[in-house]
Amino acid sequence: MFSRLKRSLDWTLIATTLLIILYGMVAISSATHATSPSVSDPLLYVKRQVVWVVLGWTAALALISWRYEELARYSWWVYGGAFLMLLAVLAVGHEALGAQRWIRLGPFIFQPSEFAKLALVISLGSFLAQREGKLHRLKDLLPVFAFVAPLLLLVMKQPDLGTSLVFVAITVGMLYVAGAPPRLLLSLVGGGLFLAVAWVWAHFRFGVWIPMKEYQLNRIIIFLDPWSDWQGAGYHVIQSQIAIGSGGIWGRGLYQGSQSQLNFLPEQHTDFIFSVVGEELGFCGSTLLLLLYFLLLFRGVRIMVEAKDTYGRLLAAGIISMIAFHVFVNVGMTMGIMPAAGIPLPLFSYGGSSMIVNLASIGLLENIYRRSRRLLF
Amino acid sequence: MANIVIRRRLALLFLSSLLFFTCLVGRLFWLQIVKGAELQKQAQENRMRDIPVEAKRGDITDRNGRLLVTSVSAESVAAFPPQIKDPGKVAAELAPLLEMPEEKLKELLSRRQAFVWLKRKVDYHTAQKIRKLRLEGIELYEESRRQYICGSLAAHVLGFVGVDNQGLLGVEKEYDQVLRGVPGRIVIEQDAVGRDIPSALHRFYPPRPGDKLVLTIDETIQHFVERELDKVVAQYHPASAVIIVMDPKTGEILALGNRPTFDPGNWQKAPAEVWNRNLAIWQIYEPGSTFKIVTAAAALAEGVVRPEDHFYCPGYIKVADRVIRCWKDGGHGSETFAEVVQNSCNVGFIQVGLKLGKEKLYHYIRAFGFGKPTGIDLPGEASGLLIPEDKVTNLNLATISIGQSIGVTPIQLITAAAAVANGGYLVHPHVVKAIVSPEGKVIKEFSSQPVRQVIPTQVARELCKLLENVVLKGTGVKAYLDGYRAAGKTGTAQVVSPKGGYVPGKYVASFVGFAPVEDPRLVTLVVISEPQGAYYGGEVAAPVFKAVMQDALRYLGVPPQEGLARPTKPWYEQVPESKPVKVPSVVNLPVHEAVRALKAAGLSFVLEGEGDVVCSQVPQGGATVNAGTQVVLNLKATPEGGGAEVTVPDLGGLGVREAAVLLEKLGLVLNPEGTGIAVSQSPAPGERVKRGLAVKVKFAPPELKTPP
Repeated sequence: MFSRLKRSLDWTLIATTLLIILYGMVAISSATHATSPSVSDPLLYVKRQVVWVVLGWTAALALISWRYEELARYSWWVYGGAFLMLLAVLAVGHEALGAQRWIRLGPFIFQPSEFAKLALVISLGSFLAQREGKLHRLKDLLPVFAFVAPLLLLVMKQPDLGTSLVFVAITVGMLYVAGAPPRLLLSLVGGGLFLAVAWVWAHFRFGVWIPMKEYQLNRIIIFLDPWSDWQGAGYHVIQSQIAIGSGGIWGRGLYQGSQSQLNFLPEQHTDFIFSVVGEELGFCGSTLLLLLYFLLLFRGVRIMVEAKDTYGRLLAAGIISMIAFHVFVNVGMTMGIMPAAGIPLPLFSYGGSSMIVNLASIGLLENIYRRSRRLLF
Repeated sequence: MANIVIRRRLALLFLSSLLFFTCLVGRLFWLQIVKGAELQKQAQENRMRDIPVEAKRGDITDRNGRLLVTSVSAESVAAFPPQIKDPGKVAAELAPLLEMPEEKLKELLSRRQAFVWLKRKVDYHTAQKIRKLRLEGIELYEESRRQYICGSLAAHVLGFVGVDNQGLLGVEKEYDQVLRGVPGRIVIEQDAVGRDIPSALHRFYPPRPGDKLVLTIDETIQHFVERELDKVVAQYHPASAVIIVMDPKTGEILALGNRPTFDPGNWQKAPAEVWNRNLAIWQIYEPGSTFKIVTAAAALAEGVVRPEDHFYCPGYIKVADRVIRCWKDGGHGSETFAEVVQNSCNVGFIQVGLKLGKEKLYHYIRAFGFGKPTGIDLPGEASGLLIPEDKVTNLNLATISIGQSIGVTPIQLITAAAAVANGGYLVHPHVVKAIVSPEGKVIKEFSSQPVRQVIPTQVARELCKLLENVVLKGTGVKAYLDGYRAAGKTGTAQVVSPKGGYVPGKYVASFVGFAPVEDPRLVTLVVISEPQGAYYGGEVAAPVFKAVMQDALRYLGVPPQEGLARPTKPWYEQVPESKPVKVPSVVNLPVHEAVRALKAAGLSFVLEGEGDVVCSQVPQGGATVNAGTQVVLNLKATPEGGGAEVTVPDLGGLGVREAAVLLEKLGLVLNPEGTGIAVSQSPAPGERVKRGLAVKVKFAPPELKTPP
């Protein structure tokens, strides 16, 4: 059984995942070097991250050994569980940084919206599998939107705009693979974007009501002009770009970046970890990391293509969309080409919920690979 | 779904992800490579938020470890305004201690800044009192203040520091990086600007103290030098004076002093041209006869001349169409080269120089280190002036041979003399012996290896003997040392005017020499510019050399020798004053007037008898004698009754009071008219008159005369 497992796994994907995680730990150790809450233990965050990684691989192993087809049967249970968790956040959630996103469970604090992403992939996959090839018109898509909307709105209510946009990305990606016309999807996304911009513009111009909080609006303004409030809201974006820019080609060396070590960077071990890599390891180190993600996603796409059935293909598509959107938005944010959305860099940023969910996703991809067409030979 | 559709979709997917990837890498490239330098600067500006804390500057000691310069710690008071809850109360407590107005302190403490200095470098007691108050948000950081322990001793070697302890001159500047250490810093988090921040918002990184310098200077010998410089200034009121003492074998400078000088601890109080010119390495002067050492060394080394070769000096020599005179009227006559050196005969040296030719002479001039800086480890060294070799005429060659038409610095000249003393090796002059870490570990020792051999050792020994004769029987007898064989060369040169030509009546008197001749331990150069009263190197500079060397050699424990040859002739017999002068009549003048008149005429004198007034003189007034001849003055007590007639004295130039005293002593009465100095009198000087007669004297205000 074990040797069969050995032969039947995509080792390139596992190796790439491991490399990204290890690279991330090095970056976290540097990022928390100067700011660790415990002076006696500068590696506190790295050690905690190791715990999350072990838990994550356990979850991945669990998802590899099941037959993924069986998940489809439980898809409504998964959907319901995610819905209840998100509801619980609003009821008894733990508030931090102006938002209510966390639930305390004994010594752990976890973030249900992270788990909800994977739950959405699993349940929406089975929902779409039954409708494959029957998604040609807008009318056909409406049930899908109705399916996604409850989860999305609950996340938005927290408020967590970044994660709700991840839900949108997952949905669009899976619809695309499920056969929805690209033109339709493109006009939906474009139209949504236009509507959002117009609404924000109308809000500032005419004071039209908008379902966004002050700080969320600020993020949009500073994305357009960071220097309008450089000591306040624009601070993160500017410091992050200064950090990355001062890295140059080779970087300033691990533990040597003044931006990260002297604490100019905000959230440097979580959302802005890429800035630490940019400053301390330079263009070379940053490009290496992006290449690793590219390789990871490339293997993901291959698994999707070779999946033995529609459900497997849809699951893979959802996972790829999720990871790709995270990478692009997070890295783009640190470099000032995306608004600050506050979503982590998968497998890299410090954080338990995110690490467990992403590793579980990798496990699911491996599961699809094991049962793919190749094994029929 | 059809296979073809899947393939098309996949291709699209691949292309769009490639597009995203390129987007990110492109942005990376833009930020890190295109805008990298600019953003790097911004990151640095961010970091500027940390406040530097000075390191304790390294000590400077003399060669025996005696402390010359040190840094005493002085604490500075800083405040972290965000942590201060009641600025008014804190200001009230601190104001009397810091001696600052309470209002000003309150303003500083209420600033919207993460950090402010309240007062820097307060004294120890104030710091202690502030520490005892234990005020939250007020902290003390250790900084340092420079202290020059020996006042102005070796001021130009040590240099001084500016307000932020940065070295500005001397070794303080030359070795600033070594002495400075690594500054520490107080880091303040950027977020402190109007942001929510935990209380521990600053961190102190202690500075690393600077390394120590061990100089080659010997404090005791430097004291001798300073003492002699002060004497020279008191006696001759020169425009400037320089003394350098060097170890001829290693190039180590044991003492170096200049006048005028300053106090490094209060350098701002001295004029800039005093502290920013280290004359010993900056002053360019015509070396005159001291440079003949180089001419002689070149000629001996090239075999152009031997010590026993004969020369004839008629008192002048014609070069091109110009006549150059020897300093001795009538010339030295027939003499050997050894005597040419001993007599410092210009004619002999010019003949030698012309025989050498400019290529060879220039070769040696350069080999001895002239024309470029010696590379001494002090800032502000000059190169000296050399006429470019291709422009040197025969006339130039002749004058360069006797040390004119060439500009040298004192340090170049002493380095050249050291090469003769040590057997022909050019050394590298330096003032720092070693760099020592604060923990006492030697980090670097400066080598004392010679740079190159300039003349063969045999030639150097030969020249030493000739130079010893200068001290024994030549122009340098006043440099003679008791118990040590000394060798050297005098120099008397005219001051070159910046407008070209020479400044009349202004001279540079110098002496360079070394001892003991058999194994020279010290070489010393004395350069006195524009001395007043006397100007011969042999008279003004040689005794200074003697005073410094005698003490320094004894201090170094060099055993004195018994029964050494003594100078054969006293100095004044060497004085070439052979001009015939007319003896003035000084009879009936008060003694001081008489002496003044004789000195002005270039005569010396001997007093006989007791009294205030000259009674008679030998030779008589009006006689023509050689300059320097002694006039015997017979004195007598104030006349009383004696003869009925007296000679009326010349009162010209005397003041009213002086004239009255003089006339009274002679039994005459003054009948003054006007004020000022006497311009005319009746009866005329020299007339015999009866005692008791009134002498009518007209006085007028003196005209201002410009000195010649």
